[in-house]
Amino acid sequence: MRPFQFVRADDAATAVQTVTANPKAKFLAGGTNLVDLMKLGVERPDLLVDLTRLPFDSVDVEADGTVRIGTNVRNSDLAAHPAVRNGLPLLSQALLAGASGQLRNMATVGGNLLQRTRCVYFQDVTKPCNKRQPGSGCPARQGDHRNLAILGASEACIATHPSDMAVALAALDARVAVSGPDGDRETPLAELHALPGEHPEQETTLRHGELITGIAVPPLAYAERSAYRKVRDRASYAFAVASVAAALDVEDGVVRDVRLAFGAVAPKPWRAHAAEDALRGRPATAASFRAAAEAELAAAEPLRDNAFKVPLITNVVVRTLSDLAGETS
Amino acid sequence: MTVSTEVRNRTAGGIGESPVRPDGTFKVTGQFAYSSDLWMDGMLWGATLRSPHPRARITSIDVGPALKLAGVSAVLTHDDVPGEKVYGLEIADQPVLAFDEVRYQGEPVVIVAADHPETARRAAALVVVDYEVVEPVTDPREAVGHPDWKPVHDEPGERTAMSRDRAPVHPHGNIVRHQRIRFGDPDAVTADVVVQGDYEVGMQDQAFLGPESGLAVPADDGGVDLYVATQWLHVDRRQMSGALALPEEKIRLTLAGVGGAFGAREDLSMQVHACMLALRTGRPVKMVYSREESFFGHVHRHPALMRYEHGADRDGRLVYVRAHILLDGGAYTSSTPAVVGNASTLGVGPYDVPNVGMDCWGVYTNNPPCGAMRGFGAVQAAFGYESQMDKLAAAVGLSPVEIRTLNAVSEGSILPTGQRIDSPAPVAELMHRLDAMPLPGSVDQDIRLLPGGVSNTTHGEGVRRGVGYAVGIKNVGFSEGFDDYSTARVRIELVGDEPSVLVHTAAVEVGQGLVTVQAQIARSELGVERVTVAAADTQVGSGGSTSASRQTYVTGGAVRAGCAAVRSSLFERAAARYGPGEFRLVAGKVESLVDGVVGDIASLLLDGPVEHTVQWRHRPTQPLDEATGRGNAHVQWAFCAHRAVVDVDVELGLIRVVELACVQDVGKAMNPDAVLGQIHGGSAQGLGLAVMEEVQVVDGKLRNPSFTDYLMPTIMDMPPMRVEVLELADPHSPYGLRGVGEPPTISSTPAIVAAVRAASGVDLKRVPIRPEHLVAAALCH
Repeated sequence: MRPFQFVRADDAATAVQTVTANPKAKFLAGGTNLVDLMKLGVERPDLLVDLTRLPFDSVDVEADGTVRIGTNVRNSDLAAHPAVRNGLPLLSQALLAGASGQLRNMATVGGNLLQRTRCVYFQDVTKPCNKRQPGSGCPARQGDHRNLAILGASEACIATHPSDMAVALAALDARVAVSGPDGDRETPLAELHALPGEHPEQETTLRHGELITGIAVPPLAYAERSAYRKVRDRASYAFAVASVAAALDVEDGVVRDVRLAFGAVAPKPWRAHAAEDALRGRPATAASFRAAAEAELAAAEPLRDNAFKVPLITNVVVRTLSDLAGETS
Repeated sequence: MTVSTEVRNRTAGGIGESPVRPDGTFKVTGQFAYSSDLWMDGMLWGATLRSPHPRARITSIDVGPALKLAGVSAVLTHDDVPGEKVYGLEIADQPVLAFDEVRYQGEPVVIVAADHPETARRAAALVVVDYEVVEPVTDPREAVGHPDWKPVHDEPGERTAMSRDRAPVHPHGNIVRHQRIRFGDPDAVTADVVVQGDYEVGMQDQAFLGPESGLAVPADDGGVDLYVATQWLHVDRRQMSGALALPEEKIRLTLAGVGGAFGAREDLSMQVHACMLALRTGRPVKMVYSREESFFGHVHRHPALMRYEHGADRDGRLVYVRAHILLDGGAYTSSTPAVVGNASTLGVGPYDVPNVGMDCWGVYTNNPPCGAMRGFGAVQAAFGYESQMDKLAAAVGLSPVEIRTLNAVSEGSILPTGQRIDSPAPVAELMHRLDAMPLPGSVDQDIRLLPGGVSNTTHGEGVRRGVGYAVGIKNVGFSEGFDDYSTARVRIELVGDEPSVLVHTAAVEVGQGLVTVQAQIARSELGVERVTVAAADTQVGSGGSTSASRQTYVTGGAVRAGCAAVRSSLFERAAARYGPGEFRLVAGKVESLVDGVVGDIASLLLDGPVEHTVQWRHRPTQPLDEATGRGNAHVQWAFCAHRAVVDVDVELGLIRVVELACVQDVGKAMNPDAVLGQIHGGSAQGLGLAVMEEVQVVDGKLRNPSFTDYLMPTIMDMPPMRVEVLELADPHSPYGLRGVGEPPTISSTPAIVAAVRAASGVDLKRVPIRPEHLVAAALCH
């Protein structure tokens, strides 16, 4: 690991100022991803600004039902919070499906949203990678891409976003609170992560020095009827091969509304708008669910070794929505 | 009274019991000192710079920038190797430090000693190595020049220009060993029913928890003391002696706490490096690999490509087996010749086959070196032949149990090497016992016990149950004419007026319980309950390797022989004291067979201690004929069978192994708890290979060198087991025992795969099975 400086921030403004002033500075929260990447030489910061003493560590439910989550709330605390466990089961389930107990005790909300891809070429500094080294090329298309994207990828990059939590938040239309050198702003989570296009190195719409301070989850009337389902290579402690976050509102056997997001199949948490549009007003049957998934996956660009994700995610969608439909009827 | 009779007739803690392990409490309470815990005041830390390329020519090495870093004491390259620049278990071809060329990613190039581990790592990173990258040979088929996998009937193709001119990994070519088996008339024979199949085994890692580590201390006599976690102290020393240009007596090894081995410590890792640095700096040097480095620091299980053809009559009785097995040995020889020996001689499984034509190759590539891992050679072949037996069963309309019992070897069977099985071979009985065991209940409703487990992927929908069977065969001990022996020094003396036995061997405890079993043998043989097993070191003769399921057999045999020599001396003293007669030693007493108890063992020791050192060998074996594979190559065979019950979520490709049932013949359960431990652990390692464990290598580079990405079964993946242990004595072995450690690893994998095939209907050809094999195949249905 390269030598680096470490400072602990006492307030958000100073943290933002410190990182803004140094192009090689990074924020450090739980460290569960950044420190790993520093060991691999993928991240090479000169300065780390520790955020863990900042006061963004509470979960508050506002009068209109909006749940505000501080960026420093640990994944395990968030999953266990009554408002989340009871009111937003898909979020609680997504959190608990991620990592291990030890990692969840360290990992924070902001860090989870900003974790980097598990693509093997991104993590191997001896290999080209357009994301790590713009313009160097992408060996993944021809090489090892079994875990990589079938949706939203580009010629330059087919990396996937590894988060479970963010998939649930995408389904919930979460908003991200950001503090930056020019003041505070809020952005929809859907606009936090960027698709790779020709610039996979630009993973988010955050500017250098901008700090995620929290998340706001707006109320969703049927959020209690929601679930997160994750396929992985062993029963626990593994990243997703494919996952689905879903909430379903059914009346008289007809889908009144639905929220659907996919994980591990795209460079960002993938909100499945096409599937949602295809499903509203349709009977809540396995056939409709399958057709909806197929509508979303019409845009899929599967490769040699990840094509199985198309039927896999379809099956998970059908499975999850059928289950929710059963619960609501 | 019954109680006193019991005490008189038995020495507590002897063979057949399961006394508490001396290391057990320390290990579970975190107090056990592993090799990575070694510490000495004033010691330096070593670090290794490794090749980032699978294949490259080294054009220059500049250590100057590293030497300038404050705190650095030494930066050494191949130029600094005092003696032989290459080493190896069987063939010396692996460089101590790379010269001219690197042949695999992670090959050591430069070593550094510094006053802090981080300083050492930074210094290593400052060394400038100029590489001229060469395209690596990564496909074992290309490595031997027949990229088109030949039908099993064809002789292997002439090696093409590819292998001769452009690609050889070593100047002598890419074939480490080619072993043929020709038994009966495999070329002419035909059969009514023929089944064929291609099978593939991925690269498994031993994944021990204690990384490679040790401490080298320079000695006043110009020699060096090394404290290290290894599997065979004396073979380490032999290789170190050549590389360090020191006579063996100047290199003293002491076993440090070993955190698992499974074959991964049979080759050298940091041994020579730490000693070079210690001898150069005159200071103790400690080296500990990180988890990532460990993946590059030891050999893995050979990946295998196999093509099998089985011919049988209409009743399912085997007529012939033809097979090609191609084992990727990676960049250096390591144990590849022995792996080829096992895969070929055991390649048809525990079945009577009148005609066998088999070709097994071990080849060099620029992939990571592969070598010893639990069950080597036998594990790969069993996936092939057991998959074939199920195919054959389906073709002739028999059940998996019927096809196996119909063709099972038994005592007296002739193996394809011409060797006769001259001890119990209860293969049919293993199958019958498995078949008789009750099956677990229907699909569980506890979500944690369904495929996907806590991932919440199913509540039972899409889940299908399957049952599969497999049986395996493993040779115990070193085969093919190897002089396989162990040495034991046994001393009995009075310690505080009590008779006390000290057993000293160089045999390595890797966690399997060897220390405990040595003490058990001494208790039973000498009638003394106070037994101490000295730390294993090179102050006593070789104990041989802790591998090939051999230590309880061979070192156990040596300890027994050592005890017998001590006992003879004690009986001479008894005769002098009590008059001539026949004696025995039980629970601290000397018994005359005529007069009963005549005195205490303690009283015989008033004249001083008794000590004997003995070397003990198992019966000799023969090399194999290269062209036909004939030869009495093996000492002993061990048999184990599994029944796997699985639930498969056929829509999501997820597998839950619901139950593993196992029957194994161990000859004699020396320590029943340890036997069960081996069976549970070995079965779990086989489960890992079946459904998740694989070192992923792409273009010669490791893609998952971490426990985040190299997946092993957790407690959530490992099911409960039903285990039956048979004790059919082998008349040729000490106590009739059979090696226990490897057999359960062999049959567990194919049994699970068979069960998944049964549940899903998918013709699975590769392990580990991944979701895409099931989901993608389901699409085609």
